[in-house]
Amino acid sequence: MKNKLLLSTSIDLVCIAPESIVYIASDGNYSTLMQTDNVSRVLSYQLGQIERMISTQLGSEGSIFIRIGKSLIINRSYIYYIHPARQKLILSDVATFSHTVSASKEALKQLKELLEKEITL
Amino acid sequence: MKEINDDQIRVLGENPDEKEKAENREQRTDNREAISQSQQPSRAKPLKPSAIANSHRERSPLPSSFMRLLVQFLGWAVLVLLLSLLLFRTEDTPPQPLSSDPNVSHLQGEPSANSQQLSQGAALQPLNPSTPQLLNQTGRSPHTLSRLTHTPLDGFTEILDQTAGEIPLRLYIPHLAELTLHIGPLDREDRTIIYAACAADIRADNGGIVGAFVLRGEPRAWGLSKKGYCASIGGKVSIGVADNSPLFEQATHEGGYFFRQYPLVADRRVVDNRPPGTSIRRALCDRGGEIFMAESLTQTTLHDFAQALVDLGVDQAIYLMGSTAYGWAIDAAGDLHEFGKDIYYCGEQPMPKNLNYIVWRKKRE
Repeated sequence: MKNKLLLSTSIDLVCIAPESIVYIASDGNYSTLMQTDNVSRVLSYQLGQIERMISTQLGSEGSIFIRIGKSLIINRSYIYYIHPARQKLILSDVATFSHTVSASKEALKQLKELLEKEITL
Repeated sequence: MKEINDDQIRVLGENPDEKEKAENREQRTDNREAISQSQQPSRAKPLKPSAIANSHRERSPLPSSFMRLLVQFLGWAVLVLLLSLLLFRTEDTPPQPLSSDPNVSHLQGEPSANSQQLSQGAALQPLNPSTPQLLNQTGRSPHTLSRLTHTPLDGFTEILDQTAGEIPLRLYIPHLAELTLHIGPLDREDRTIIYAACAADIRADNGGIVGAFVLRGEPRAWGLSKKGYCASIGGKVSIGVADNSPLFEQATHEGGYFFRQYPLVADRRVVDNRPPGTSIRRALCDRGGEIFMAESLTQTTLHDFAQALVDLGVDQAIYLMGSTAYGWAIDAAGDLHEFGKDIYYCGEQPMPKNLNYIVWRKKRE
């Protein structure tokens, strides 16, 4: 069975397959998790804490996630469109969901280069 | 885990410690090679010119990111020089319509009859000579962010989009309006309101207002949890940072308004605040006496937001509730611009009893 990500607090628990996460965005001391079924869920963790949980719980499987700047963790499987100059990143499965998020030009440029490099390897 | 800034990315699941160690090992090897080469210059074989060029490229003392920054800086310097030359040349030209400013985008709704009239100047009156605004030859105040060249007939919020540092900001500049505070639900149909945004924070445990709060001369909360303050007394708005402000007492005596929030900018300097996360940020700002509200259009930290306000030339600024806190503005065309989520107005959640707003109302004749 594939690993699932467990996000547990004193009052509730979220158990979700990594591929069901489109992105996790920071919102102050909270984070918003966007799922592939278009449901968004507020988590009472800061993004850094979630990043640590992904690395600890998923190990190398966690490499499907990329942290972009201070505010965003995305699932690389759903990267559909990157436009660094417009600071635009679209995450989509080209069927059921499409989410536009924003990040710094430099970060998006690095993301674009990372993906290009991976294709040429 | 290393801190990350907004210009960096990181693939998760890779062991950062091992990666770091490997990088350090490589660096140590490089250093050792460099030292041994510098100690034995006579034994080193003479290099061909092409090899020298290659080795220079490989071991350039300046990292490529620094070179890129240098090139970008030089590019910007040239651009600024050209623009300033262009401005000097165009100062003698007559005033342009509002929407022609290339640096500022005016956010307006569909071009209604009112907005068309406004852009043509038909519905405008000349500035009152007693208005304490200096106008340059283009008809604009050189010291204000507002792009209005004439006093409008009625109150409204001028909405401008600007970028300061790398943070896109939306500025809400009220005209012919005065600042008041309000507790409880607002009447969204009230057309005297030209801007409303959540003001002081509310305690999670007992629902009380955080910090001192005076509503039309009546103290509704006391305390100093946040050092930033805003007072509106007799139509004069004061924003600042202080442990104790006589404006609290003055507001209670003169029927004014007073509230506290996080200080962001004090005397053109960033005030550091502890909340580290990123979010949509809002602020109430004073820039050379021009009072306006600013909103970050991307999620940002309090520090970066405050720095952007300093870059914009703001003298004093305090925080307003950010993230999904609901509010709205009415522009020159009478169009409504909402921000945040109206969860308390559409019945999604019950409104906290002390939810409070800064409300800019049209000045009465």
